Amino acid sequence: MQNNEITRDSLLSTETYVLRIENLSMHFGGLKAVDDLSFHVNRNEIFGLIGPNGAGKTTVFNCITQFYTPTRGNVFFTTDASRLQKGGDPSRQETLNLVGIPVHKIISLGLVRTFQNVEVIKELSLIDNVLIGGHIDFKANVFEQALKLPRARREEKAMREKALEALDFFDIADRKDMLAGGQPYGVLKKVELARTLLCKPKLVIMDEPAAGLNDSETDGLTQNIRKIRDAYNCSILLVEHDMGLVMNVCDRICAISFGRFLACDVPEKIRTNKIVQEAYLGEEE
Amino acid sequence: MDSNKQPTAMKKTTNFLLSLYHNQYLRFVLFGLLLACLPQLAKMKLIKTGVVTTMAQILIYAIAALGLNLLLGYSGLISLGTAGFMGLGAYVAAYFYGDLQLSFWIALLAAVAIPTLIGTLVGLTSLRISGFYLAIATLCVSEILLKTFQQATDLTGGTSGKNISYPVIFDIAFKRDTMYLLLVVALVLVMMLTWNLVNGQFGRAMHAMRGSEVAAQAMGVSLLKYRLLVFAIATAYAGLSGALYVFFVKGTYPTTWVLNLSLNILAAVVIGGVRSIYGTVLGVFVVWGVSDLFLNNIPFFRQNPQISFIVNGVLIILVVMFYPNGLGKLPSDLKAGLSRLLGGRKKPGIPNKEER
Amino acid sequence: MSTILQLIFRSLETCSIYALAALGIIIIYRTSLITHFAQGSMAMFNTFVVTWFFTSFSMPLWASVLAGIISAIFTGFLVDFLVIRHTKKVSPVGKQIITLGLIIVFLGLAPMFFGVATLQLPRFIPSGEVVVGGAAISYNAILNISLGLVIMLVLFYVLHKTKLGLAIRATASNEQTARLMGVPTQSVTMMAWAVAGVLGVLSGVMIAPATSVSVWLMNPVQISALFACVLGGFQTFYGPVLGAYILGIARNFLTYYVSSVWGEQIMYILLLIFLLFRPNGIVGKKYSKKV
Repeated sequence: MQNNEITRDSLLSTETYVLRIENLSMHFGGLKAVDDLSFHVNRNEIFGLIGPNGAGKTTVFNCITQFYTPTRGNVFFTTDASRLQKGGDPSRQETLNLVGIPVHKIISLGLVRTFQNVEVIKELSLIDNVLIGGHIDFKANVFEQALKLPRARREEKAMREKALEALDFFDIADRKDMLAGGQPYGVLKKVELARTLLCKPKLVIMDEPAAGLNDSETDGLTQNIRKIRDAYNCSILLVEHDMGLVMNVCDRICAISFGRFLACDVPEKIRTNKIVQEAYLGEEE
Repeated sequence: MDSNKQPTAMKKTTNFLLSLYHNQYLRFVLFGLLLACLPQLAKMKLIKTGVVTTMAQILIYAIAALGLNLLLGYSGLISLGTAGFMGLGAYVAAYFYGDLQLSFWIALLAAVAIPTLIGTLVGLTSLRISGFYLAIATLCVSEILLKTFQQATDLTGGTSGKNISYPVIFDIAFKRDTMYLLLVVALVLVMMLTWNLVNGQFGRAMHAMRGSEVAAQAMGVSLLKYRLLVFAIATAYAGLSGALYVFFVKGTYPTTWVLNLSLNILAAVVIGGVRSIYGTVLGVFVVWGVSDLFLNNIPFFRQNPQISFIVNGVLIILVVMFYPNGLGKLPSDLKAGLSRLLGGRKKPGIPNKEER
Repeated sequence: MSTILQLIFRSLETCSIYALAALGIIIIYRTSLITHFAQGSMAMFNTFVVTWFFTSFSMPLWASVLAGIISAIFTGFLVDFLVIRHTKKVSPVGKQIITLGLIIVFLGLAPMFFGVATLQLPRFIPSGEVVVGGAAISYNAILNISLGLVIMLVLFYVLHKTKLGLAIRATASNEQTARLMGVPTQSVTMMAWAVAGVLGVLSGVMIAPATSVSVWLMNPVQISALFACVLGGFQTFYGPVLGAYILGIARNFLTYYVSSVWGEQIMYILLLIFLLFRPNGIVGKKYSKKV
């Protein structure tokens, strides 16, 4: 199912995309988890990736963040030149292929993710959990940290303020010193979001952010996703099961099934798209 | 806890005292001062001099144990090379100070640097593969080191060991009691450094790695770098501990640095409590102090010295199975249990800094 | 030529010993997912049992070994029953630490029961050798080599051709699924501990005549066996055996041709370097981890 529309679309918008997946394939032995998939995410866009169970959404995700090295295809990412080399012009944008970059280097490019089942450290306070997101911005080495030399102390203080801001952004600053273990799930989800904000992201990828949330919490999440986009001026890629949330919040949606591209369009069109409906309801004809 | 009311002088003083009470560094210093009193007590014949020797041994082992605790508690890696690296530190210190006649500080530095370097190389080969190879690799390295201590007779004195005298530091000739004070100072400093490390970016990265390797990597933590780093720190502590040992005991023999010592230090860490600084010291006290200071007064235990060793093994297994946070968690668990008993329900999630 | 043959003959005996010990480790790893660090010390303890029966009761060697095997089965059962069975929720690191705790227990128990004096255990066949191509090999070595091979063959037969073996392999590949499919995983695990114990005591009895029976008896064997597993990979049963043979032969050649004092150390260093290039061992497969 080669899709000409998408290719043309991405050619037109090379200047505005932040992420462009090109002919991405990921094979596990004989299983084609992702098969020749292409789509792109524009700057300042909230983009949804949907599909029925086992469609390969998480695999796409892991190929973008380089937990998997894709069998074929490219993942182009546009970011500030200053993130690529020291002294680069922060306003100039540069594009690079993420394939092959070590997984722990990805975040320093401004690409950060959340996890399906929240990954917070129970034994740490909320603010310390958020601070983990600022890991790459610490320049002080272990000696400076062990001796608490001025630079280490300064960085810690500045980062703590930023973390507090991030917590405040989600209205949970009053809980900052409480341990993460024992906090309600909704709060932990917010902590995870706050953590992504600490690295000044260009693109936040959220893996099923609505999983395990009740309806009112999902509403809150919808607002928070928009808030993040507006306040931090970044793009958001949602991988989601909850159709309500996706239809509500996304500017555009890409639907996949069995690792293959189905359709990519604005929510209203996706809702009425025959192929997508079939994939979700099962082909009974 | 801040209120908007104008703080009165009274309140100011209490706040100041409270902040002093909560000041970790002050607590470490206080802890050190308490330990430093022991030789004085021995002089006043309130305690036996043997107690001071046992305590000195505990202080020395506590330093190595703190290193292992960083490794085990924070990154979930096991090293069986603690004794080997301690021995290496001891022999290097003895060689540099005794044979080469270099100053105490250079000997100390070398005794920390050389084990750290070798440790880093071992870590580099084994940690790249998988965390659990480290235990096997360090087990092997400690055997190699032990053989070296026995066979490189020119450097180590072979099975007859190596002897040095108490060090001269800044033109002060140290004696047994002053060496003991030096040990206290060293331990308190190491505790402070460890505290700083675990409560900063380094500690958070460790926590992240232990929580989920995947999440840690996504947050930019390089697994290899941080595993290597924490292993290097653990080896450096072991080297320091070995060097202090040789300066206090005035000698070193190969038979000291066998697997039993590594296992005992591991026992101390596990029993005392992973990720707890005071717990580790407590654990070392349980492993060495209890048998030396108390049990040996009972004839049965004197005749069966193996019992306390076996008890350490059993304790390790029991703690891992039933009380994974170790004895260091006991006070806060007791407090929580007590307050639950008294009806005042403790709010969940209140952080308790000193537990970490 | 005869020197090389001699070296190989001498190696084969130690290879058998390493292979048996390595098999014990791998059986535990595959059924309980534990790196069994205490394999050596349990073997040491049971070898003491053999020696004790032999010296204190003047029992014939074969009867003492039989007593040792029974004691090994018993200690294996006991360890599984008292400890391992209750560690389902313990983290992998915790389980490793538990086996380290077991080392301490057995290191402490042995001198309590059997005293601190080092003891001697004779060979099964005290003397006699055959000469092949200018190289001599003792009857006892031939016995050890063939005994080792027979045990391994039986074990592989059981593992791959019998229902019991299927149960063990099912437990090894996924304990939970195996249990749901009706495999009595608890009994399988207990069996595995007993088998590992027996393999341990046999390797102990074989190595003992070459040195003396002390608490340190099994240290070199344990390290070699662990490294055999690393070298052969933890994923198969035959990999560690292969690793054990390579290791045993390499050690003797290095100590003979390179350095009698440092040969062993050099081998370990070479091994660590080898692992840099083949992290999963010779026949190891790479895991694909799920994120």
